[in-house]
Amino acid sequence: MNELELQALLPFMVLAASSLVVILLIAFRLSHTVIQISGFMMMCLTVICMWLVRDTLPREIPPLLVIDGFAAFTTGLIVFVVLAVGLFSYIYFEEREENPKEYYILLFLATLGAAVLTVSKHFISLFIGLEILSISLYGLIGYLRNRNNAVEAGLKYLMLAALTSAFLLFGMALVYLETGSMDFAVIGRHVQSSGFSVLMILGIGILLVAVGFKLAFVPFHLWAADVYQGAPPPVTAFIATASKIGVFSVLLRFGQSLGLQNEQLLQGIFSFIAIASMIVGNLLALRQQNIKRLLAYSSIAHFGYLLVAFLPGNDNGETAALFYLLSYSVTLLCAFGIITIMSGTKQDAESVSFYQGLFWKQPILAVVLSVAMLSLAGIPLTAGFPAKFMVLASGVEDSRWIPVLVLVATSVIGLYYYLRVIGILFEKPEEETAATKVLHPFFYYATYTSLTVLMLAICWLGLFPGNVIDGIRQLLQLE
Amino acid sequence: MEVLFCISSLVAILSTVMVITRLNPVHALLYLVVSFMSVAMIFLSLGAPFMAVLEVIVYAGAIIVLFIFVTMMLNLGKETAEQERNWLKPRVWVGPSLLAAVLLAEMIILLTKGQPGSMQVTVVDPKKVALSLYGEYIIALELVGFLMIAGIVGAAHIGKHRKKTFHRFLEDEAETEQQLKADYHDVHTG
Repeated sequence: MNELELQALLPFMVLAASSLVVILLIAFRLSHTVIQISGFMMMCLTVICMWLVRDTLPREIPPLLVIDGFAAFTTGLIVFVVLAVGLFSYIYFEEREENPKEYYILLFLATLGAAVLTVSKHFISLFIGLEILSISLYGLIGYLRNRNNAVEAGLKYLMLAALTSAFLLFGMALVYLETGSMDFAVIGRHVQSSGFSVLMILGIGILLVAVGFKLAFVPFHLWAADVYQGAPPPVTAFIATASKIGVFSVLLRFGQSLGLQNEQLLQGIFSFIAIASMIVGNLLALRQQNIKRLLAYSSIAHFGYLLVAFLPGNDNGETAALFYLLSYSVTLLCAFGIITIMSGTKQDAESVSFYQGLFWKQPILAVVLSVAMLSLAGIPLTAGFPAKFMVLASGVEDSRWIPVLVLVATSVIGLYYYLRVIGILFEKPEEETAATKVLHPFFYYATYTSLTVLMLAICWLGLFPGNVIDGIRQLLQLE
Repeated sequence: MEVLFCISSLVAILSTVMVITRLNPVHALLYLVVSFMSVAMIFLSLGAPFMAVLEVIVYAGAIIVLFIFVTMMLNLGKETAEQERNWLKPRVWVGPSLLAAVLLAEMIILLTKGQPGSMQVTVVDPKKVALSLYGEYIIALELVGFLMIAGIVGAAHIGKHRKKTFHRFLEDEAETEQQLKADYHDVHTG
């Protein structure tokens, strides 16, 4: 490993070191506040390192990793998500029955796993990254281990994730049997010279089970609602954004280097999964009274939309997918931030009725949540609109008519339940509740401010998407 | 060689099917040991003696013995002796021992007349394993370290016992007190 490779790896080393720093801080019995702030600093340091090493990219680190503009964007997005999730975690976990310190070790390890996924170009790093991510997530989901919901969610995730890891390994073994290599590029060359054999398609199909599970695509979506509901809201935000960004980016890279979209059968499978996810996700969300479950089903639908951008397998599709991931994560962070800040010590603010008349009590929070819902629905002037537009454009350009039509139709259905939530926010409140004392004012207002900033970011992305899209295209070196 | 490979694969499949169909955990674990040993035998017949030894030491040796001990410990009680007698019926141990005997016979054949057959076998010695782990795949090795941290921290947190700082007669009192406190704080915002 030479100096330049080490330089390119620097942000990942800092990311890995942050969990060790937290362990050391715990060993010295420092307080939750110290851990929270130093974790925040470490994440900032990671971003700074990424900025410092930007000139050395793109760089391959054989045999496992490749660090390029695509990886820089997705890793940056993941670190940004974790900055926000870490901030939300303070006020949530400070008031809970569990000691909140180990939480940060697991959170940073899960981040490391997701980041490794974005840079991996080899089955070994893919598998290890995915395992780091899911093993940390077991702990995070069941973190409040005295609550039945949390334990149930953790156990469900554990069983299903372990099963899908077995699928992943089996798929990898089949592909290896056929090509004799685990490197995406070598597999891609093999496919180019001798096409997709039956064994190869079988292997990739089995691999897709594992990826589909992590992204909650439709035949593998059964865990999503229960896990979203049972996990603490900051963790749910992490699962819905960072973990899915990591897995989706490795799927994009794998698809790109193998040309998965050119194979007739696999194309059919992807189209089917996309259509099924869009329809089932939106229909299940329609009558949902629990806002966490509603967001779970909506995220199933959103990843169905995202697959429409994956289907063409060209540069426009990739740009659209990355922009969609960005706007989707900012929006979901807003929504889960509100759930976190509204949650009481005994119970999370899950039920939709909890938000009845929020506008008359907490106008700013209500406006933030409304903007997030509008953005999820894809209303113009919010980030969701240009994102959905780009996905549609990339689908239309490649004349994938059926998925595109389903996308439009299901978006209309989706409008119903997003607007229903907004309607509830503006209803008359049931009774006057006495204002309770604000605990931890510094972190409370920090969270409040960050939510407002996130809301402004949604509007900015919706009004001026051009700058960001140009930035993404530059990172992908398309210009 | 090829025949030996096929037989040990067959033993592996058989024993693994037995693992997931047994109702008694200890019976299942006995078959699991055999399953691991047959995988070790597969490695050996493919020319990876180091991996085979590791498979036996790490899985069959350490982890499974630990499992069996823990499962037996958890059942401590009046009926333990009775249970142990039940577990040692021939019906229970004949199956795993037969499969293990097949593996033993295979290994003896392999060691006494181990000329390479039709299969192309490259012997992977410990040096090659070490060089690839600590050379080419060093990043993977480091990442596995982080994987272990995640597992340990998660397990330690979930399995931690709640600290008891007061006498058990006072426990109820303390709990109600805590509840009152929690009610007082209630919600951040309302």
